[in-house]
Amino acid sequence: MATSHQQTQHLKTSIRILQIVVATMMVGLLFRAIQLQVLDYDEYVPVSQQNSLRQEPITAARGTIMDRNLTVIVENTPVYSLYVTPSDFKPENAELLAGLLDVTVEEVRTRLAKARAYSWHRPSRLFDEVEFEDFSRVEENIWQLPGLSHQIESKRFYPSGVNGSHVLGYLSEVTEREYRSDAGYRLGDKAGRSGVEFTYERYLRGKTGQEYKIVNAYGQGIGPFENGERDVEPIKGQTIFTSIDARLQLLAEELMKGKSGSLVAMDPRSGEILALVSAPDFDITRLSGKLDRPYWRTLNTDGQGRPLFNRAVTTRQPPGSTFKPLMGLIGLRLGVVSENTRVFCSGGYFLGRLYRCTERHGSQNLEDAIKNSCNTYFYSMMHQIVRQHGLEVWHDMAKQFGLGRLNYIDIPSEDTGILPDSLYFDRAFGVRKWGIGDMINLGIGQGAMGFSPLQMAGVASIIANGGNWVQPHVVRAIEDANGVRSDMAARITKIDWLRDEDLAIVKKGMRRAVLEGAGRFYVNIPSVEIAGKTGTAQNPHGFDHGWYIGFAPYESPTIAVAVIIENGGFGSISAAPIASLLIEQYLTGGLSRPHVKNMMLNFVPRSSEVRR
Amino acid sequence: MTWYRNLDWVTFICWVILTSIGLIAIYSATLGPVSEFLPTNIQGNFAKQSAFVGLAFCAMVFIQFTAPRTFEQVSYLAYAFFLLLTISTLFIGVEVNGAKSWLEFAGVRIQTSELMKVATVLAVANFLTSRRDITAVRIGTALIATGLIVVPAGLILLQNDTGTALVFLPLIPVMLFLSGLPRGVSLFMISPAIIGYASLIDWYWGLILTVVLAFMIYMIQKQPWLAVASLIVSIMVVIAVNVALTQVLQPHQVNRIEAFLNPQSDPQGAGWNVIQATTAIGSGGLLGKGFLQGTQTQLRFLPEQWTDFIFCVIGEEWGLLGTGTVILTLLILLMRFMGNAVAIKNPFTQLMFVGAVTIFFTHILINLSSTMGLMPIIGIPLPFISYGGSAFLANTILLAICMNAYYYQRELVVFGKAR
Repeated sequence: MATSHQQTQHLKTSIRILQIVVATMMVGLLFRAIQLQVLDYDEYVPVSQQNSLRQEPITAARGTIMDRNLTVIVENTPVYSLYVTPSDFKPENAELLAGLLDVTVEEVRTRLAKARAYSWHRPSRLFDEVEFEDFSRVEENIWQLPGLSHQIESKRFYPSGVNGSHVLGYLSEVTEREYRSDAGYRLGDKAGRSGVEFTYERYLRGKTGQEYKIVNAYGQGIGPFENGERDVEPIKGQTIFTSIDARLQLLAEELMKGKSGSLVAMDPRSGEILALVSAPDFDITRLSGKLDRPYWRTLNTDGQGRPLFNRAVTTRQPPGSTFKPLMGLIGLRLGVVSENTRVFCSGGYFLGRLYRCTERHGSQNLEDAIKNSCNTYFYSMMHQIVRQHGLEVWHDMAKQFGLGRLNYIDIPSEDTGILPDSLYFDRAFGVRKWGIGDMINLGIGQGAMGFSPLQMAGVASIIANGGNWVQPHVVRAIEDANGVRSDMAARITKIDWLRDEDLAIVKKGMRRAVLEGAGRFYVNIPSVEIAGKTGTAQNPHGFDHGWYIGFAPYESPTIAVAVIIENGGFGSISAAPIASLLIEQYLTGGLSRPHVKNMMLNFVPRSSEVRR
Repeated sequence: MTWYRNLDWVTFICWVILTSIGLIAIYSATLGPVSEFLPTNIQGNFAKQSAFVGLAFCAMVFIQFTAPRTFEQVSYLAYAFFLLLTISTLFIGVEVNGAKSWLEFAGVRIQTSELMKVATVLAVANFLTSRRDITAVRIGTALIATGLIVVPAGLILLQNDTGTALVFLPLIPVMLFLSGLPRGVSLFMISPAIIGYASLIDWYWGLILTVVLAFMIYMIQKQPWLAVASLIVSIMVVIAVNVALTQVLQPHQVNRIEAFLNPQSDPQGAGWNVIQATTAIGSGGLLGKGFLQGTQTQLRFLPEQWTDFIFCVIGEEWGLLGTGTVILTLLILLMRFMGNAVAIKNPFTQLMFVGAVTIFFTHILINLSSTMGLMPIIGIPLPFISYGGSAFLANTILLAICMNAYYYQRELVVFGKAR
């Protein structure tokens, strides 16, 4: 019986050991429960809320853009996007979906794989901007396609027909760096990349709203959270009132079609841009929504036309004879010429060699010289300016006209252009490797200088408005969602060296250029008194570039224009007719010369070799 | 003496509490707002479980009026019967969720492996007590007892029900330990499980425990060869676990272990269950979100929330109040059984109690550890609480037999002595 007793004792001890083990582990489990539910409670509550609460951002509609007559030129149009929740979507449905959307099965599969990589349980965009017909086909069959849902988003829409590719600007999807930054962008958002859309991005964007939805583990929305009391309505982007005149812009775009060049029309009193075109341009509707890859590629690989390049503010072209009115002002102010100073043009100016004029103009005063675009007169004048005052004085005076520096227009990629001083020549040609010849060439707007139409329109404006530099700008005012309107304050600077009497002489010369000079063919119209100056800039690579600057009405100008037609030949028959049509359209509201418009629509560049 | 004086009220009340909590949780998990996202057959689970509770209660009453010796006497017969059923399940069983563990009688599905557990406990207890007059534990006896446990476990493994098969294994060391196997040897037998768990977390934990266990075994048994054997086996386990993790296991199995060690590494995939389970329990807090108010439960974030993850439902909707009640009730039940095992001096009864404790405790430990993120998820139901008619019935029968032993303890002890 001793063994039996031993056995009993053994059993008893063994059970005690088991009891301790079981009790210890159960208490351990209890402590784990306490750890989870009491100590880590604060950590798990937000997780469970995030789980079942989905914060869905509601994209705010982008702001509307208006023209100066309150015509809507940019607004939004709804587009349909298809979203997929990969965990609910049956892979074998890819074929059905591809058939409904008229895309390849591979495409659907690739996009599905991407969505899966992003999240298995949360919806992600499968197709955006689905055509309405395709979208309705999918919606009809939605019962066969679990895991598929849709959202209505918006894309840019241009109701007035104004393309404005370089002034309004295009949009594109934000880059990874942008949506990872704290700028508040999300994957798939679009941001302005050029023009007004870029500069005023933060006003146009609006404020993304938030919607709180209760979702289940499949990502299905079950309903609003707390009856939507925490939801934040999106705030639509601010309305932008531009100074663009939609009809003028439309005409300008039409006239520039098929040409290479650009134009700027502005109000000389305020610097408001009325029209701005760079040609060739691109179809802005194709860059306003989802990326049209083949189109984007053609835009980027067109090395000749460079449609994305904003010639109106970025190009650097010698202004040719359109520079002469400014030369006249400088010459008068510096006293190298007076109103009555006459220079005899015998077909050129001789300084070491013959600097040729276009023809023998005979005895010329300043007015005549501007009217006739006499090179001899301005060679002579430039020669005297650099001899008596130096290149720097000339440079500084011209710079106040906004040349060789930024004019701070509110669209991107503005260029300073080239207005040379001796430092520039030293750098470009080498110290003592340049001379008087390089400098007097500047007197007729040739050689080492290059300006954009924006800058030349600025010069025309200064002459037109009586000597004030005005900051060119596209946007007049911004109005937020509450209707609070803030006007843009453009800078205006009086150019102190300008004298009214000098301006009168130059303006008269420019008026005479229209009445009697090269402008008499296409710019001289009875309804509007236009003053202007043609220019033909030498181009070693092909036909010369035709220029025109002008303003009207002559007595109290309200529009100033600069036009360049690259490889257009004479300015008088390429740029000048366009400028005159624009001025006529703006001031009279119509065109009296359909044949001129037709001629410009079917414009054929001609060599200007003969006359130069 | 009136009948209710002898009834094991503690056990019975524990059963009532656990069953009620289980029914409430199953209701919430299948008929709450969540039912919208559930197939209709799942929505019928509450009714089915209620029916099984009724059936189990009848079985309990019936067992209460059975002569206490009956279970010892029918144990081999029951074992043979259920073994045959288990084998036939392999061939004519119904497959559910990939496991062929169900036999269908007149539209009712019975999971034979659950009843097999009860039969195995009774048979092993009977076998070991019939040999206990022999003072020295013979290797042959130990081997046959082991065989009695391993054979059904193997069959259930063939049914592709790893979780249930796993539950049988702890019976081996515990039953042998109780019936006289030296403690050091018993420790040696369970050491691979301990070392394996530690090695999953990190291999050096495995090594540290290897040394500690070998030292303990030497201190208990004072036999150098056993300590050395333990050392060798343990090191092999550490190596095997690491080899298995890197070479042998299928990627989805490795993922599951990886998900336990670091759930955030793949929150949408393998880590999903772990994260959702701990989140459900953790966000319940002290008093829970309220009946039918658990967002994790009602929005279907939990997998298998009416069976293996039922504890999360309780944790989320009833908080620490619910989880604490469950854990403490289970603890009281287990302690009560072990207390009875000490008190009722009948060898068969004692082994049966310990066998029942082993079966229940293994379920509890694995289920709670899985749902609370303490080990890789192994799908196993929580006794008396999880949905599952056969399991509930089998567990209640086992519990009822234990209650029967308590009720007739005088008789058993008298007979035990006379034997």
